[in-house]
Amino acid sequence: MSVHVDQEPTTSVPVPVPALEVRGLVKHYPGVKALDGVDLVVRQHEVLGLAGENGAGKSTLLKALVGLVRPDAGEIYVRGEPVKLRSVVEAANHGIGMVFQEQSLVPNLTAAENIVLGSEGIAVRRGLYRWNAMRRLAQEQLDKIGSSIDPLARTDTLSFADRQMVEIAKVLRIEERSQHPPVIILDEPTSVLESKEIETLFEQIRRLREFASVVFVSHRLDEVLDVCDRVTVLRGGQSVGEVATAGAVPGELHRMMIGSSGSDDHYHGNAAAPVLAEQPRLSVRGLSGKSFRDVDLDVAAGEIVAIVGVHGSGREDVCRALFGAEPTTAGEILMDGKKLELPGTRAACAAGIGYVPAERKTEGMVGPMSVAENMTLTKQKARCSGPLVAPKKQATLVDSWISRLSIRTPGRDTAIQRLSGGNQQKVVLARWLVGGDIKLLLLDHPTRGLDIGARSEVYRLMRELAGSGVATVLLADSLEEAIGMADRILVMNDGRVAAEVACPNGGKPSPLDLVKEMV
Amino acid sequence: MSWRDAGPPAALVVIFVVFAALSSQFRSIDNVQNIMDAAAVLAVVTCGITFVLMMGSIDLSAAGVMGASALTVSLLVANNRNDNDLGILAIGVAVLVGAGFGCVSGLALVFLKVPSFMATLGVSAVGLGVATLMFAGVQPNISDAMLKSWAIERFLGFSHLTWIAAACLVVGWLIQRYTRLGRYAFAIGGAEEVLTLSGVRVQPYKIAVFTLAGAFYGLGGVMVTSQLGAGLVQAGDGYDFSAITAAVVGGTLLTGGRGGVLHSAVGVLLVVVLTNGLVQVGVSPYWQGGVQGLIVVAAVAAAVIPQRRRNQVVK
Amino acid sequence: MKFTSRPAAALICLSLAAVTVTGCSEEASSGNTAADAGKCEPSEVKLVGQVRNESNPYEAAWLAGGDTFAKSVGLSQERLTYGGDSTKQQEQISQVLAGNTKCLVLNVLPNGDSDTTPIVKGADKAGAYLVTQWNKPADLKPADYDKWLSHITYNGVESGQQIGDALATAIGGSGGIIALQGVLDTAAAKDRYAGLEASLKKNTGMKLLDQQAANFSRAEALAVTKTLLTKHGDKIKGIWAANDDMALGALEALQQAGRAGKVAVVGIDAVPDALTAIKNGSMTATVSSDGPWQGGIGLAIGYCVATGELKVADIAAENRAFFAEQFLISKDNVGDFLQPKTDPADFKCANVFNRVAGSLS
Repeated sequence: MSVHVDQEPTTSVPVPVPALEVRGLVKHYPGVKALDGVDLVVRQHEVLGLAGENGAGKSTLLKALVGLVRPDAGEIYVRGEPVKLRSVVEAANHGIGMVFQEQSLVPNLTAAENIVLGSEGIAVRRGLYRWNAMRRLAQEQLDKIGSSIDPLARTDTLSFADRQMVEIAKVLRIEERSQHPPVIILDEPTSVLESKEIETLFEQIRRLREFASVVFVSHRLDEVLDVCDRVTVLRGGQSVGEVATAGAVPGELHRMMIGSSGSDDHYHGNAAAPVLAEQPRLSVRGLSGKSFRDVDLDVAAGEIVAIVGVHGSGREDVCRALFGAEPTTAGEILMDGKKLELPGTRAACAAGIGYVPAERKTEGMVGPMSVAENMTLTKQKARCSGPLVAPKKQATLVDSWISRLSIRTPGRDTAIQRLSGGNQQKVVLARWLVGGDIKLLLLDHPTRGLDIGARSEVYRLMRELAGSGVATVLLADSLEEAIGMADRILVMNDGRVAAEVACPNGGKPSPLDLVKEMV
Repeated sequence: MSWRDAGPPAALVVIFVVFAALSSQFRSIDNVQNIMDAAAVLAVVTCGITFVLMMGSIDLSAAGVMGASALTVSLLVANNRNDNDLGILAIGVAVLVGAGFGCVSGLALVFLKVPSFMATLGVSAVGLGVATLMFAGVQPNISDAMLKSWAIERFLGFSHLTWIAAACLVVGWLIQRYTRLGRYAFAIGGAEEVLTLSGVRVQPYKIAVFTLAGAFYGLGGVMVTSQLGAGLVQAGDGYDFSAITAAVVGGTLLTGGRGGVLHSAVGVLLVVVLTNGLVQVGVSPYWQGGVQGLIVVAAVAAAVIPQRRRNQVVK
Repeated sequence: MKFTSRPAAALICLSLAAVTVTGCSEEASSGNTAADAGKCEPSEVKLVGQVRNESNPYEAAWLAGGDTFAKSVGLSQERLTYGGDSTKQQEQISQVLAGNTKCLVLNVLPNGDSDTTPIVKGADKAGAYLVTQWNKPADLKPADYDKWLSHITYNGVESGQQIGDALATAIGGSGGIIALQGVLDTAAAKDRYAGLEASLKKNTGMKLLDQQAANFSRAEALAVTKTLLTKHGDKIKGIWAANDDMALGALEALQQAGRAGKVAVVGIDAVPDALTAIKNGSMTATVSSDGPWQGGIGLAIGYCVATGELKVADIAAENRAFFAEQFLISKDNVGDFLQPKTDPADFKCANVFNRVAGSLS
């Protein structure tokens, strides 16, 4: 393992000119310094990992590389030549292409159309489509990556993994624009893939290395170490170090990312166990729905219960059913011994149940609305006196929660979509806290897409809430997270509760114990 | 077409069979011809509006544009108001007038950033205003033999207008399937930002789509003039909303990115068959409006159920 | 209130402010009511004619009639059109009433019955002379107001019956007919259809095969007629339409079905195209509601009172709300009506009530 901080890696052979180099890139946004003199070198035929917490400047840097963001200062060199990148097209002309984090395919077009989109070439003559030529063009691209997808299939009928292949095939079209090996940027390509699909993707990335340079971004550090040759770590808009991946361990990267030694183990099971009251706060008996049957579940005040299970085990639907957002066919839900009238999210809200959905961007928040509005979306009482809004009261309340949860935002009136993922999630959580009457929190993948620092903060928040007597049902992102956070773990398999595993003081269960029950 | 698109055609068949069972007149050849003739203008207008809806925009300009084009054509062909007799050229001019209005809608949307709802509503008002100026108090009655014959002469049992509508649908389908304009309209409705990220400038296509739609409305106005034998300011009354209804009933989503010309054609037939059938089976006129509304809502609901997914919010 | 937010609150404040301002201006306008009403110099009189729109022949002719009268007394008419939008009509009226109302004369076609009340109250408060036509609630009577001089309408029951009888004669006393109704919830449509029902009772040989609403629209009448022609085929001998626009649509339908000339068609309103059709024999009859006369007479009554030539107290009670005289037009007398013209004599102050055919109960 070799770690070099702020210095060029030493090599014995003459270094060929880098495929892409960034020097001293600076970008300011109002109130935020996104890039503060970033340096980056992408060598030819290597896979470079880019690591950093949310807010470290990764996405701004990537956007600058494909011409979506214009830096305030600094230079970008392509094969030694300084370039100005003002649009995606210009970047493509220089051989730089990006697979975006939010999948950037038009869902209702065919795979072939998506692949050639924007540079149809011979596939469109005088505005008229030539479907055969288009299919051939697309097939050529798909052949490059050895994919057997039907080019004329509608994109929204493809699996996530196949769509990823289409994206890569699309981005490889830039080869046609530039004589040199391209630079392909992959921004969080694994976030929507299953583990088997990730393996296929990695093979693909290794193949790409034969004729291109790759920049790989992921918040899963094990993946970064697995597929990359080298990793550059960003922090606070600066490059703080480079790591050759051979022999490196995630802990090293974490330390560089958060600037101090941190642990990726969040097992807090050794903390004092909650004092369980006689009556459970939430009590579920025989709950059945479309994808789950006969679910029994008790959660006491101050307790965190995790539900784990493979995709399709029905745990997401149980969680939504508890909030009244998914119809049930049988069973009952009791809060503090009182039966909930189902279905309906209003009844759940009234009973003090809060739900943080997994799809933060679509279900959790209203992107263009301000932090303050998002925070007070459900608890209108908190900022109103009578039917009229009391702006002062609202402002005080929102500000107090911004500081209590240390939400990093230029102000309460900033649109929530401009915040980093971790801070967005804190605002979503705060929404259930501002009312002060929350009794049960349903957290559906609360740390999805968050980096390690933001994740720790969410964990700390969960502990704090549990400490104050809030009962929590957690659908964890990983088994480690479940084991780390939960007082008890329910394992669901094919719609039923297959096992219940307690996490007593000092008795940390192993992931293997859980996996046994899951499959 | 996948099974998800099967709803509207199935609804059409069901409604047709029900009316046919209830009324022997409904299933007569005469009446089928009548239904097709009655669908002609709506089909052309809906064909135009479909492209706008596919893009995720909305277009309320049909009424005004049709009024302007109706007055234009009726004053340029042989008529009782002036000595013009431009014949087929007049029809071309009227279609161009329609395209011009559509272009204005598109320009307002793209350059002035006026939402399409407001932009097209405004253009409709302008169209009606222009039509009223041309009308000047005296209805122009047309005497142009060719234009009049469109509504009267028949070929293989159907009026020329019906054949024109069919040709429009074919052209519309070809545009949708085989031109960049059509495919991009579809793509803009699906994911506009992706097009931008791929280096496509979407604005020219938006303007072109509105212009195309305007041309279809212009032709629609000409066809109404042929039917009524006179240029009416009100030529397009109600076509704006019935065209949107027909498109949506046929499975084109108001949010864009789904549907198409053939879907809309089915929608048009559904609406027209419904109107015709209710008269044929003798539903009282006092009930027809309500019954028609209910059936339309039911048909739309039936059509979207297969597409409804958990995370899809219906606005 | 779930969606209250600061912008929304601001909007509410704005609209409240707007209401207050409007309220103020209405207050202010009532201040300039002249004490010596009825003594205006002819040149001081301001004439305003208001109809729905200028895009149909009937209302265009109405405004033209108003212009003709205004010219005859050396004035000009201010033309207002509100596009069939009740809100817009009220706005226009308040704007006009916010100006100098001392010698203001309004000849108004209210959009619907309920629109008449605020117009009458507004004009009365501002002291403007008002004549309304066609629509008013039954319990609102000009006799109860000083400045609302008269309400003029046509007897829809009578016209519906007149053309019904003409149709019966045209089809030789027996055979099937179809009826095209107007907008079902309007008084005109109801009255005219009631007239047809009376005619059917009288002409027992005439059978009503079907009746459909075509909303006074030429295009809708075309479509509906075509459908009814396929439904009833040759049984249809005549078509009764509640206005001429629908009758003309029906004529087109007959032509497209190849049955032109074999089916008798009647309508109401005497629009120019219908008169031409009657002249060349394709249409049987219509009833005149004389647009140009309506446009002129309302202004004429107001002008006569404003200048003092006519005293409100002298207007006979039955003339404050009346049915105007109407004429059945058939091939025999169509020549007299072909050229839409106004007779200046009709608008002389002594003659303004010459066409009263009956008092509106």
